[in-house]
Amino acid sequence: MSLISLKNIYKIYNVGGEEVRALDGVNVNIQENEYLAIMGPSGSGKSTLMNMIGCLDTPTSGLYEFEGEMVNEMDDNQLASIRNRKIGFVFQTFNLLPKATAQHNVEIPLIYGNVRRDQRKNLATEALESVGLGDRMHHKPNELSGGQRQRVAIARALVNKPSIILADEPTGNLDSKSGQEIMEIFDSLYQTGNTIILVTHEDDVAKHAHRTIRLLDGKVKEDIYVAA
Amino acid sequence: MFSLFIENFRISITSVLANKMRSLLTALGVVIGILAVTLMGTLISGLDHSFEKSMEFLGKDVLYIRKYEWFGDKEWWEMRNRPNIKIKHANSILERSQYAKYVAPVSEWYTSVKRDANEISGVRVTGTTGAYAMISTAEIEKGRFFSSSENRSGSRVAIIGKDIADNLFENENAIGERIRIGNYTFRVIGEIEKQGKFLGMFSLDKQVIIPIGTHQRLFTRRGWTGINVRVDENNIDNATEEITALMRQFRHVRPTEDDNFALNRQDPFKQQYSMIKLAIGGTGFFITVLSLVVGGIGIANIMFVTVKERTREIGTRKALGATPKMILMQFLMESITICLFGGLLGLGLAWGGSFIINQYFPSEMPIDLALTALGLSMFVGIISGLAPSYKAAKLDPIDALRYE
Repeated sequence: MSLISLKNIYKIYNVGGEEVRALDGVNVNIQENEYLAIMGPSGSGKSTLMNMIGCLDTPTSGLYEFEGEMVNEMDDNQLASIRNRKIGFVFQTFNLLPKATAQHNVEIPLIYGNVRRDQRKNLATEALESVGLGDRMHHKPNELSGGQRQRVAIARALVNKPSIILADEPTGNLDSKSGQEIMEIFDSLYQTGNTIILVTHEDDVAKHAHRTIRLLDGKVKEDIYVAA
Repeated sequence: MFSLFIENFRISITSVLANKMRSLLTALGVVIGILAVTLMGTLISGLDHSFEKSMEFLGKDVLYIRKYEWFGDKEWWEMRNRPNIKIKHANSILERSQYAKYVAPVSEWYTSVKRDANEISGVRVTGTTGAYAMISTAEIEKGRFFSSSENRSGSRVAIIGKDIADNLFENENAIGERIRIGNYTFRVIGEIEKQGKFLGMFSLDKQVIIPIGTHQRLFTRRGWTGINVRVDENNIDNATEEITALMRQFRHVRPTEDDNFALNRQDPFKQQYSMIKLAIGGTGFFITVLSLVVGGIGIANIMFVTVKERTREIGTRKALGATPKMILMQFLMESITICLFGGLLGLGLAWGGSFIINQYFPSEMPIDLALTALGLSMFVGIISGLAPSYKAAKLDPIDALRYE
């Protein structure tokens, strides 16, 4: 059984009386421990597909099954819960809480997941150590470099042991060296069995992945596997 | 759920502290509201206290037969033309009334009291009989009241109030010593316990009591006379009616004429007082409600700004698994925190203010009112935070994440 199964997904917006098909009949299956890049020019439906996979959005029609749960039928609370338990988000702009320490930032998903305090501390420490920030736990975002901030964000995405890690242009705001370091972290996360989905328009980033889905005008234009 | 509560509290505190000036200004309405309601409560508690003590002095079962009404709409010049109250009617009332228990004629005059070089001016000199001791609620602390023979013989003996004792005798024993009341020498035979001020206006302790016969001869020509009657406390209304009838009879008032004397009681004081209390309470309530409403609007406004400013944070939190309810609680908590902070500040100021009030008359800040005030500020926080928090909770995570 697939980890993620999208069947006939449509997302239709009504913009000023005009129908916009952001996703126009998308079929995608994603297996466990895949390393996938979603690519496409702006307006191709790339972000909409990412939001759909990330359970931030529900389709206008179609079936979305996530580990056997029917996402397309979920309400806001259920969506929040599945995001909390099964999806780790990494954003282009990091989206850390500026006034909280690295450790506290990493603890946030655990707080929403109602994890006990002592356990939270251990899990956060573990996650930060796994991205090489064991010595930066009590720093606030403004005391960290861009690459370090993104690593905190990755630690935050990892901390709940999610089924997928969903990264939206994770290197977009970083210099090439930091970007390279971040990609190395994704590579090693993949090697330890995680499922990683990258959304990017950079070929350099996408080439880390083993499968590339290209979108154009809301449709899957190509879906290629590259041998590892 | 508890860790979420702690987290929300943490966020609130951080946010309030990060915008100290803004929080303070926002909370100002609540500060003033809470300050008003608490100070009003303190004031009323102090007034109640002092009023009750003063009413105790008058006694609820004592009728004061006087030439002038204490309250009412009679013109003073009409009452001025009434005949004076006569001492002899005191005895007649005692003989004829079935409700009167004790009757004491009272004459008053103000003069100075001296001992050696020390002098107190404006002392109330009361002339009365032994029955006065049975009518007054004040106890004799040292010495004794004068006897009926002293009264009849017009002895120059005096019972002094606490102010006189403290000022003229300090630590000495006053009993048996001599003082000069006006131009006449008196022997001190008793000392009355401390009574305090009457309605915060004049001291009840700045008085001397002497036999009425003596008073008549030395002072009454210039003072006034009245009769105090202590009646059966279960029949105060009947007694009032009966004694009014007796007085009309003694003074030959025709059935068609109005009373030419006044029967004063503490009741009108109470009515007057409850009106004052109502006025203070009403004003305080009005200020409180007004400033809480205005303050609440200010808080709602600033919460909308906060939600706008932190749209991306809300988006991130939602992406990380916060449900709409969790976001709602977060911002509601923040709004409550601002209000509680304002409430506590207001209470702090009121607490300081209550010390100042206490200087003028004894009062204390009522604890239950303080707690109510805190509850009230929380309520304002909830009400004014509701709409902004709901807006935050309902934000679409995608739009929120994309918000610049």
